[in-house]
Amino acid sequence: MNVENRLANKKRRSQKVAFGIFSFTSYSVVALLFVILAFIVVKGIGAISWEFISEMPKNGMTEGGIFPAIIGTLCLVLASMIFAFPVGVLAAIYMNEYVKQGWPKKIIKQMTNNLAGVPSIVFGLFGMSLFVNKLGFGDSILAGGLTLGLLVLPVIIRTTEEALKAVDDTFRQASLALGASKWETTSKIVFPIAFPNIITGMILSIGRVSGETAPILFTVAAYFLPKLPTSIFDQAMALPYHLYVISTSGTNIEASRSMAYGTALILIIIVLISNLLANALRKYYGKKVKMN
Amino acid sequence: MASHLETELGKLRGIIIKIGGLAESQVAEAVKSVLSEPVSEGKEVKKTENKIDKLDVKIDDICQSVFALQQPVASDLRFIISAMQMSKEIERIGDLSMSIIKLSKSIKEKHELISKFNITEIAREVEFITAKTNECFQDMDEDMIQEIFALNNSIRTKSTEATQNIIGEMKSNSKTVVSGTNLIIALKHFDRIADHCTNIAESIYFMINAKTIKHEKMIDKK
Amino acid sequence: MHKIESQNVNFYYGENQALHDISLSMKENTVTALIGPSGCGKSTYLRLLNRMNDLIDDTKMTGSIHIDGTDIYGNSTNVDNLRKNVGMVFQKPNPFPKTIFENVAYGLRVNGITDKKEIEERVVTTIEQVALWDEVKDKLKKSAFELSGGQQQRLCIARALAIKPSILLMDEPTSALDPISTSKIEELIYELKNKYTIVIVTHNMQQAGRVSDNTAFFYMGNLIEYDKTKSIFTKPAKKQTEDYITGRFG
Repeated sequence: MNVENRLANKKRRSQKVAFGIFSFTSYSVVALLFVILAFIVVKGIGAISWEFISEMPKNGMTEGGIFPAIIGTLCLVLASMIFAFPVGVLAAIYMNEYVKQGWPKKIIKQMTNNLAGVPSIVFGLFGMSLFVNKLGFGDSILAGGLTLGLLVLPVIIRTTEEALKAVDDTFRQASLALGASKWETTSKIVFPIAFPNIITGMILSIGRVSGETAPILFTVAAYFLPKLPTSIFDQAMALPYHLYVISTSGTNIEASRSMAYGTALILIIIVLISNLLANALRKYYGKKVKMN
Repeated sequence: MASHLETELGKLRGIIIKIGGLAESQVAEAVKSVLSEPVSEGKEVKKTENKIDKLDVKIDDICQSVFALQQPVASDLRFIISAMQMSKEIERIGDLSMSIIKLSKSIKEKHELISKFNITEIAREVEFITAKTNECFQDMDEDMIQEIFALNNSIRTKSTEATQNIIGEMKSNSKTVVSGTNLIIALKHFDRIADHCTNIAESIYFMINAKTIKHEKMIDKK
Repeated sequence: MHKIESQNVNFYYGENQALHDISLSMKENTVTALIGPSGCGKSTYLRLLNRMNDLIDDTKMTGSIHIDGTDIYGNSTNVDNLRKNVGMVFQKPNPFPKTIFENVAYGLRVNGITDKKEIEERVVTTIEQVALWDEVKDKLKKSAFELSGGQQQRLCIARALAIKPSILLMDEPTSALDPISTSKIEELIYELKNKYTIVIVTHNMQQAGRVSDNTAFFYMGNLIEYDKTKSIFTKPAKKQTEDYITGRFG
């Protein structure tokens, strides 16, 4: 074998090795995901039934359903989104479209990133001091929603910013060159183009909000509420907290175990459904953007 | 809607037809002056001469412009090249006609020489070849090119013969030397006018067939 | 007084001077080509005419630019109105992700025209004006992205013309297009000359020769020569111009 062939073979070998490592790690990640899902599904599917979803918990959480927790989680998601989405999107628009380059912009960006890194339990504490106590909302969906909103605000800001940045500058220029104002350009051209990706940011946030436990500990979550919340000032149950409670400090942990897995499964399903829904929305708006 | 280039080429074509027509009328005047027919005012002839010169310059200008600005290719390119060549030939025809007209004034007693030696026929043929050349360009007719070459040959043969005869006459009759000499020069000019016509015909052939031919060779082929 | 008059214009990107003392005036209903090697400042200059350089931070301009006798950098000038009068077509066709109809209607809408009939009429007229009507009349409600590159660019020209500017700026409008689309657009420019004053930046010299009445040769931010296109291409006055035109540099 001459030198060229030897070199070629060596390259082929090292390529195969590298490729092998990459495939292995990729498949491992996917496999891991499946394992977790399978684990939850297998353990929790037994608990799932119509009663489980639609009924109140009974008998010290060992029987009945988790309906109020489901409703509570949905309320919190809604409340946090109503607050965080408009604020986050507008903030991102301001930062990306209006602020000039330079150190003010750099500082704002850094602050936003830092906010994203704040531990969620710290948010919980902050939410408790400000919303529950100082502003007097008490343990409530309002307090919980605002706290969770603050938590995901940096995520929404960042993803919206990325979405806006991804809009080719040439569209802005074309619009401005026609005599449109900056706001007209932003609202009529840039935002519609970025919208599908902004929705993606919202998806991530919904998933995050559904599963956060620490912030809601301090601000809204109730261990056991037999009735559903009727106003934003009411307390509510929530799935992640419920899961924690019946797994660790319920009246009869062993008996509640299957319910715990069921709760986890429901939580995952909610996140999955919101992902699918938002993806569908993304596709729909993506088409609409081209047609309009 | 014609393209920018097409418009320019159309303009050019129109000018060539115009300058060709003017040259044709100058040749007619030259013929008239030799055959002692009534001619136009000297002023008119001079005016036409100026017009021809101006159009020649204009043709050059347009061609240069089209080369520089439009990058003509293929048939358009051949047209522009031919246009510049033909313009020069036509301008020479105009010049030669003017020379003949000037000469004619000094050909006294020419009538005998003219009738004796067939000059009328030659003159008419020169008129004819000029008209034919213009027609050939207007119609882009390849068959006419052959005709033009044939006419040129005929004119050459006849004028050579006539020249010999006039020389003979001059030898025997010294009174005819001045008129005879001028007539011979006029005949030479007619000959060259016919030559320029064949050069124009060659350019037309080039435009149509993208090939260069020399009229002498063509006739030899036949 | 000419349609566009620039006097002693200097332009800086931060510390870097991009244009040096440019004085240039363009008559109404003419096509002026700006030529020169890459980075010579021709696009920068073009963008001064509709104040698109305002969008870039840390720039400075000295000197004056007058359009229809008004200083466009003066305090009394409203930039949006300026841009309504001075339209722009960009290098890469950039129709909005909207329908073909809406692309052309957009300019009308943001300039206050709301009457449905008027919008429809202007859209149709403009699309006809750019010789695109036959190709799109049956698909006005389809996405602009379904058109070919050349068609998209003509659509962008229509979009700019719909708001009836008097000046049209074109920044290398055909450099991203195939030869046939290019020649269609060049013919269009030749026709539009009657109604608009056009300034076109091109790195293709032959294009400058084909479409323009006057040509300005830029080099390293300086205006080297400005004359009738015919003169520039047959007997340029400056050696630099001649060297560039004949391809000896740049």
